[in-house]
Amino acid sequence: MADNETLVFMVTHGPDEPELATIPFVMAGAAVASDVDVVMGFQGEGCLLMQQGVAEAIEVPSFTPVRELLKTIQEFGGKLLVCSPCLKNRGLTQDDLVEGAEIVAAGRFVAEVTSATNCLVY
Amino acid sequence: MTAMLSEAEAGAMTAARVVDARGTACPGPLLEAKKSMAAVAMGEILEVWSSDPQTKADVAAWAAKVGHEFLGAAAGPGYDRVFIRRGK
Repeated sequence: MADNETLVFMVTHGPDEPELATIPFVMAGAAVASDVDVVMGFQGEGCLLMQQGVAEAIEVPSFTPVRELLKTIQEFGGKLLVCSPCLKNRGLTQDDLVEGAEIVAAGRFVAEVTSATNCLVY
Repeated sequence: MTAMLSEAEAGAMTAARVVDARGTACPGPLLEAKKSMAAVAMGEILEVWSSDPQTKADVAAWAAKVGHEFLGAAAGPGYDRVFIRRGK
């Protein structure tokens, strides 16, 4: 895995901007299909996408539903990293998150971004 | 612009597997191709059906990226038939 290409997708929108919340999942889906390792980082409103039941409710016309893309990304081993203070501000804990989501702090995000091939911010 | 195969050229393609990705939105056809290619032997052909006109160009770029050979696309009734030879 270490020698493979990696893309980091930083997701800062959630139900407030459904299209911007969906596009990074589309891109991450294309990345895993292209044998590229994927790390998704959720910050701000984006962290709500990792709350159980939230991603399932987001469907934007002409786009594959987020729930389907999330499932695929997880099947291909994509990492789901969620900002700790962002969760705290919203009263959320690990128990509220989808399976596989990992709560992290800024240092982990920096480590993932600096070791990745590229980073896209949404 | 992706060159289209003639009916005769497409007819000469013998796909080992056909995957129907019609009706799926981006990146659905790519994901279907990725998953289905695992069931195709090296050197054999996967045929992907897609109703998204962007799929043929997308699959061509994907194939070049991951090491397969994009053979071309042919127009079906309301959809495209996209042919890829497994290269790895």
